[in-house]
Amino acid sequence: MPHLETPVPRNFFRLSLDAWAVAAAFTLALLVRVGVLKHVPW
Amino acid sequence: MSSSIAIPNVAVQNPLSRILRLLPGVALLAAIGFAGKILEQSINRYVKAHHIVFPNIEYVLWAIVIGLLIGNLLTVPKFFDAGIATYEFWLKAGIVLLGARFVVGDIAKLGGISLALVVLEITGSLALMTLLGRIFHLRPKLTNLLAVGSAVCGVSAIIAAKGAIDADDEDSSFAIAAILALGAISLVAFPFVGHLFHMSDNAYGLWAGLAVDNTAEATAAGALYSDAAGKLAVLAKTCRNAMIGFVVLAYAIHWAKQGQAKAVTNKARFLWEKFPKFVLGFLVISALVSAHLFSKDQVSNLANLSRWAFLLTFAGVGLRTNFRQMSKQGLKPFVVGALGEILIAVLTLGLVVGANHIWKL
Repeated sequence: MPHLETPVPRNFFRLSLDAWAVAAAFTLALLVRVGVLKHVPW
Repeated sequence: MSSSIAIPNVAVQNPLSRILRLLPGVALLAAIGFAGKILEQSINRYVKAHHIVFPNIEYVLWAIVIGLLIGNLLTVPKFFDAGIATYEFWLKAGIVLLGARFVVGDIAKLGGISLALVVLEITGSLALMTLLGRIFHLRPKLTNLLAVGSAVCGVSAIIAAKGAIDADDEDSSFAIAAILALGAISLVAFPFVGHLFHMSDNAYGLWAGLAVDNTAEATAAGALYSDAAGKLAVLAKTCRNAMIGFVVLAYAIHWAKQGQAKAVTNKARFLWEKFPKFVLGFLVISALVSAHLFSKDQVSNLANLSRWAFLLTFAGVGLRTNFRQMSKQGLKPFVVGALGEILIAVLTLGLVVGANHIWKL
């Protein structure tokens, strides 16, 4: 019986650039909301 | 007996090494962007202290200029490339966070106006570029790529359309080079015209968002005018980006009918795949802020995070604009693109003037 050495598809953990950007922005927003990022200077 | 079949290209990449590979380029983006910011502040302080009359040159322009000088005069080592390419990631994260500066009511009003103008802009731009492509005898698929790039959203639209209409690599690199070169020119031309006509921040921002092709350049062209103009440029450009799926789908169906591209079997799935998801993130953040889930200080923090993300983007715009490579791509697509862009800029300026007359932007 042939056994395919590909238990995980190549793109399984690969998110699109858009998804990464949205995830990063939401994480930052959450850190601001819970008070970890209290003052972001500009 | 069991045999084993190894599938090629299944290399498991270590996420940590992938992140480490990005660090030099990201550090370069941050250094250039920060240098631009410091330069703006230092010049302003000097000018004020010595009572010199000097126009305020925003950090946006300094970051782009420093990036351009480094990218075109020096040879940037290869190990910076992966990190420099993240400028698009910072752009999209910045746009999502910019949602904090819009309440849902603003988006409904200004977004509604933008969307109506975007539909007119896309229709006019596609028609214009197709006509110019025929007059100059460009290859039909190259004409389509230029039309999509100038009507919708620059490089992303060209890449999306390339796959859908099965265009050549050569055609897409011609179209991308033309769109990028014209984007670089628009960074100078648009603020100049805006100041010449004394355009309001909102009217100028809407115009930049409608007429400048690439999202990064549209954001920069808006921010070069004023902070408020930059905000509206992003909103109008986001509306344009949201239309990408519909335009590419129409071209895909056209070329499939000619037997020169794969048929689209599931149109809803096609539209979803092409839809830029960061637009949804932008709307979600705006909805959360409108629902008062963030305090005033927190909203200001989110806006500042968005500015930092854009700072890295602008540095990337400068670094990535390589005039030597662009000049190698030939003159004809550039001439067609330039003529089309001038006509589109005039068309959209007319649309914005009309909208300003009706809605008092």
